[in-house]
Amino acid sequence: MTRNPVSRRTALKRISAGAGAVALLPFLSDEGLAAFADIQKTGAAPSLKALTAEQYATLEALTEAIIPADERSPGAKQARVADYIDLLLSEADDTRRQQWTEGLAALDADATTRFGKPFVKLDATQVEALLTDASKNEKAPALQKSERSPLELFFVTAKQATIQGYYTSEIGIHQELKYKGNKVLLEFVGCQTVDGKDCPHCGQKAQV
Amino acid sequence: MAADKTLDLDLAAITDESRRLAAQVKPGSGNWDVIVVGSGAAGGMAAFQLATAGIKVLMLEAGRMLDHKAEYRTMEWPYASPRRSRLPLDHRPIGVAEYNFLDRPYAANPQLAKYAKVTSYAGNTFTRNWVVNEKEHPTTGTPYSWVRARVLGGKTNFWGRGALRYGPLQFDAARLDGYDVDWPIRYADVSPYYDKVDVLLGCSGTKEGLDQVPDGVFQRPSKLNCVEVAFKRAIAPLGRHYIPGRAGVTTDGLLNNKYRSRCLGRGRCGRGCDVNANFHSPTALVYPARDSGNLTIRPYSVVSEVFLDEATGRAAGVRVIDANTREVMDFKAKVVVLGAGCLDSTRILLNSKSPRHPQGMGNSSGLLGSHLSEHAMGPRGSGFIPQRIGTEATLDDGRPVTPYVPRFRNVKDKHPDFIRGYHFQGGGGAYEYPGMAHDLPGFGKAFKSSVRKYYPALISLGGFGEVLPRKENRVSLDAEIKDAWGIPVLRFDYTFGDNEKKMAKDMGDSVEEMLRAAGAENIKVDRELLPPGWSIHEIGTARMGDDPQSSVTDRWCRLHDVSNVYLADAAPFVSGGTQNTTWSILAMCWRTMDYLKEQMRTGSV
Repeated sequence: MTRNPVSRRTALKRISAGAGAVALLPFLSDEGLAAFADIQKTGAAPSLKALTAEQYATLEALTEAIIPADERSPGAKQARVADYIDLLLSEADDTRRQQWTEGLAALDADATTRFGKPFVKLDATQVEALLTDASKNEKAPALQKSERSPLELFFVTAKQATIQGYYTSEIGIHQELKYKGNKVLLEFVGCQTVDGKDCPHCGQKAQV
Repeated sequence: MAADKTLDLDLAAITDESRRLAAQVKPGSGNWDVIVVGSGAAGGMAAFQLATAGIKVLMLEAGRMLDHKAEYRTMEWPYASPRRSRLPLDHRPIGVAEYNFLDRPYAANPQLAKYAKVTSYAGNTFTRNWVVNEKEHPTTGTPYSWVRARVLGGKTNFWGRGALRYGPLQFDAARLDGYDVDWPIRYADVSPYYDKVDVLLGCSGTKEGLDQVPDGVFQRPSKLNCVEVAFKRAIAPLGRHYIPGRAGVTTDGLLNNKYRSRCLGRGRCGRGCDVNANFHSPTALVYPARDSGNLTIRPYSVVSEVFLDEATGRAAGVRVIDANTREVMDFKAKVVVLGAGCLDSTRILLNSKSPRHPQGMGNSSGLLGSHLSEHAMGPRGSGFIPQRIGTEATLDDGRPVTPYVPRFRNVKDKHPDFIRGYHFQGGGGAYEYPGMAHDLPGFGKAFKSSVRKYYPALISLGGFGEVLPRKENRVSLDAEIKDAWGIPVLRFDYTFGDNEKKMAKDMGDSVEEMLRAAGAENIKVDRELLPPGWSIHEIGTARMGDDPQSSVTDRWCRLHDVSNVYLADAAPFVSGGTQNTTWSILAMCWRTMDYLKEQMRTGSV
């Protein structure tokens, strides 16, 4: 594929010209986006946009701890979820970026206090212990925000973003979920009981 | 190679084409019988009916033309875009699209602080080029999520495809429960036009024989998948139906349209269907109308008002502000048909002030803008159906719409707390994105395998409740705030009333009851109403009736006050039931255009 001769900025200028100021998100250069795609494909080293190398390493370890590789499919690290989060953070406002960098710092502080080393150096048992604590109130809706520790709040933020990044990745959709749709079908099959048969997928019997 | 192709879409060719068309079409560059404002379901159908009958039509679209082959990004995977089709974090999803949060002009009012950031539909990569920017198109007053698309085809490019008919329970609503007034017409008046729309455009569904949602002329239905069959069987003893959704999508194909293929079962219709099995106004109506040789389209044409021939008291034409050059032009024709969408058509009329019509055209009753109604949304429920927990996912979403639970309140019985009713739309099974993962606790391998375990088993349903038409729910022109073209913006005075709140409570209760009947695990029920406007089903601000004192248009959707101005959209609808609005807009518009054609044939116009 050749590079589009019209840059996005030019194209958007054309769209919006004369129609008043169009509020668009800040965006990366075409080079930045092309590089991003290459990284995602080749497993090359990340080219960071918002985070430092240390922050990125901590984030990558955290995402992998939330959605790890298992016997079925690779985890968040191989799905490059940390790159996705770094990209979104590079386009977010300062408050949100700060929320993440402070969260990562809190994670490292907790690891250092409890185990004397940063999060990336923890072994599996230590990660398990730390995240078990950080997630203990995750689904306690009655708890006010002020009653949750900064690490508990950050865990929820990081987990939601990891879910988003992982299950929209090639690995998440095809290898992990084995999603079968988005293909050309002559006819949607559905539950076979609709056609008067016993359904092999759900075990429901045809009704007479 | 550009990595994010949806954001990077090269629209230069189509914007150049749009500018060329706008530069070509000037007052006097043609002779037109009828001006049609808008190109969506209403404008598209109006233009199609008139142009194919040999009437010369000028269509004015506020946005640009559409490059439907490039812009409908149906099969693109989320990972084709580094942002995964999303704009940054914390965006509230609604269906396949997402809302983007922006400041509104009233954000400074502390009482309205919690509504300071609402709403635009442009949160994802695939609709963002179509939907208007709230900063150019502000509204004032009470919060209202007013979704507008300024592009050829309007919102039909990404509509939800629900193709439901109003039935006797809507047309006779007032007679049945004594609230408000009846429509001046009956289901029998519109039913033949629904049939024609079904045949012309293709409608998928099953015959069910239910009064609350009459049957149509259907093509192959969207079958239920495994979790849905389990749910259907579980709620049958409650006396509730769960039937294949009815979709404005041709599943068997059409022999009347060279632009449209039959449905290919990819299930991503809301991104725009690149084979046009989904009804989109451009390929279904506008291009065929243009092929007749009788339709001229002028894009970038922002209509500010309808102007009057003071001598005759009839409309002489419309005033257009070119969206790019800001040039102001007056286009003239014998008849004006407004199909800009219920609220924008109303805004144009309110802004059409003259000595004869100081409160706006068609407003001698003082009712133009009042009785705004739509559907209350928000209460919804989800759970995991046991028959599918822990199984491998099947292909569950390769169809145009999810099934739905037709209205069951106040159909045969009478609910003690509220009048009218609601329906649920929603289905289950394995969809591309496992949104339920956000609700599952924990982390690590246990979390990952729980997502896998529940992924095929999800069922999720959301309610659509009738908002009672009330005079005090209204829009008017804001005295100060203007849009980017200097046209006064709409001020909303619109809130949900007691009936809607009681209905919403019952929606939450009844969805929970059904999920329990199905033995669902992890039942989750949301009970809060979403902000007004969320349904995008606005109707009623120029209601029809036989008495000019109490209505804005006559039974033919023609202004009582000005005999050559017609409304083609949902503004004349008296009440909206629970049904999605588009199919009724199409049927009513066809009916109105048949009347107009007859008027023109007999020289009455």
